[in-house]
Amino acid sequence: MITFAADVNETALSIFGLVVAATLVITYWASKRMTGAVQFYAAGRRITGTQNGFAIAGDYMSAASFLGIAGLIFLYGFDGFVYSVGWLVAYLTVLLLLSERMRNSGKFTIADVLTFRMNQRPARTAAAIGTLSVAGFYLIAQMIGAGVLIQALVGIDFNVAVIITGCFMLTYVVFGGMLATTWVQIIKAGLLMSATIFLSILVLNRIGWNPVDLFNKARDESPAGDAYLKPGLFLASPIDTFSLGMALVLGTAGLPHILMRFFTVPDAQAARKSVMWAMILIGAFYVMTTFMGFGARAVLGTAGEEAAGKGGNLAAPLLAEELGGGPGTFGGDLFLAFISAVAFATILAVVAGLVLSASAAVSHDVWTNVIRRGRAVEREEVLVARIAALSIGAVAIFIAILGGAGLNVSFMVGLAFAVAASANFPALLLALTWRRFNTTGAVTGVLVGTFSSIFLVIVSPTVWPGPDSEGGAFGFYDLANPGIISIPLGFIGCWLGTVLSKEETRAERGFDELYVRAETGLGAEVALPAEAPQAPPREPGKVPASAM
Amino acid sequence: MSDSDRAAGGAEPAEGVDRHPEIDWIAAERSPEFRELVKRRNAFVIPATIFFFAWFFGFILLCGYAEDFMGESIYEGFTVGYLIALSNFVMVWVIGALYLRQARRVFDPLAKKAAETALEAGRRAAGAQGDRPPLAGHEEVTP
Repeated sequence: MITFAADVNETALSIFGLVVAATLVITYWASKRMTGAVQFYAAGRRITGTQNGFAIAGDYMSAASFLGIAGLIFLYGFDGFVYSVGWLVAYLTVLLLLSERMRNSGKFTIADVLTFRMNQRPARTAAAIGTLSVAGFYLIAQMIGAGVLIQALVGIDFNVAVIITGCFMLTYVVFGGMLATTWVQIIKAGLLMSATIFLSILVLNRIGWNPVDLFNKARDESPAGDAYLKPGLFLASPIDTFSLGMALVLGTAGLPHILMRFFTVPDAQAARKSVMWAMILIGAFYVMTTFMGFGARAVLGTAGEEAAGKGGNLAAPLLAEELGGGPGTFGGDLFLAFISAVAFATILAVVAGLVLSASAAVSHDVWTNVIRRGRAVEREEVLVARIAALSIGAVAIFIAILGGAGLNVSFMVGLAFAVAASANFPALLLALTWRRFNTTGAVTGVLVGTFSSIFLVIVSPTVWPGPDSEGGAFGFYDLANPGIISIPLGFIGCWLGTVLSKEETRAERGFDELYVRAETGLGAEVALPAEAPQAPPREPGKVPASAM
Repeated sequence: MSDSDRAAGGAEPAEGVDRHPEIDWIAAERSPEFRELVKRRNAFVIPATIFFFAWFFGFILLCGYAEDFMGESIYEGFTVGYLIALSNFVMVWVIGALYLRQARRVFDPLAKKAAETALEAGRRAAGAQGDRPPLAGHEEVTP
């Protein structure tokens, strides 16, 4: 079963080629429309609510969702599905507390909202640290995941796979900006949904169209027996599970690449509509992880465990291969290749969104508002954004190759969610709702949230003693998930910093403006006019793609 | 011009923030229309947030502390835990749909009214000051 990884899978390569060719055409088209910062960061704010819903789904559902959850359910049954639930419920936090307010009050980055009424230089710097930590950890995790998967599925060497992934990701972002990234994400969401529906139908067909039989067959194939269908196989410690739940539900509302998507739609109505679409797509997908995960157990059985690898990441592709007719058959090869290509597209869409949000934090927040004190012209900012994207991409590729396949991916994803929930979310929420909140509070909150998460993850049992497998040491020493401590710490940091510092008149006065703007949309950024956007007269129309 | 829009005060206005001298933000924040909007929105959002947190973390706590209950079979291999997990999906879609309906029917019209009131107040404030043009750029100094 594992032999398919030995040499290059040509079918998979050609399907990869098709997907990649489509995305490159889109990037070329998007680069022709590149007119300036609003286009680069926010696709001119002309993405519709429905399109943005697909793009959010594409931005959000990473390889950890597609392959990771299928693998966790395959290995541990019910507990894998707990992740599915948490990752969907998170969108209620986004919908009810942030989506419309972000759209109404921000321009390009979450720091725009966070620092709206703050002293720009310290607050922007702190906000950029929060964004870059989240995007950085998440990006490296995804790059390593990409390398491991492509190596296993297509037979390309890990380092080469990481570099290829990085190059495509950078091509989309640097030349096509948000418009190209958005359409890559929309296509990916379509592909991922199709692949998941396709696999689910095949699984149901195999077990005779009775979903209840699926659970029974899966249980019969699991050495854990009845325990496979109830909680506790993977998430053994209740407090740790609670902590994980907190990070999932609040962390999503602090992910810069997700929140940035709300700046791409014309208004708050479109923003909330896009969350509804995202909830429908993401929810449907996560319901179907049942069929992929339990299906893989029912169809592949215990024999598949070794081939599925650490964390069971290859369970879904192996399931596809088996359902297509088995290894070596034409159908098996074709299905495996299709699922592999979808996994590749999945990763590309996520890393592109991450690089874009990180480069916006560098150019818009650090360069324009901290270094140049708000005086950089638009062309300069876009140029810096492209250089930043290239640098961030290069560093991510370098770290991924240096860390290699052995670097603990689940620890990095956990860290990204922990920092997002503990640093970005508390500061954002308080900036929008608490009048007294000020610059000192924002800076201490973000820094306390970021560094307490990093510290707690480093000393956690999954990292400190050093098992590099997913969840290898859950539950015997302290917490693997820091959320239950670091999220309250983030809020306390915001609160203490605020009450211990002098009242900041400007921040409190600015609250009226931010509050009214966030709730009503008065004064919000407007979309670029349809077609033929006013070309800046100073230059020949477009910022040439070669300007990077 | 009122000093309400001087949020950026002495420091440079943020590049990411557009300032609007024509809007009287303090008057807007105190207007009954805005108060009504915030009240109605909070009346939905706060209970809904508490509800979904309770539902989700209730599920998480049951997973942690009531494994056997969660593992009980409702119908053959279909367990209580799985049913509660699926109920979270339904809960998310229902709350989402209710929020969207409420936003369309109640919040949007109120937000529009509050915005109009704010613009009106801004115009009046600017008019009362007579000699100052209402859209006098971004750097005007408040006494």
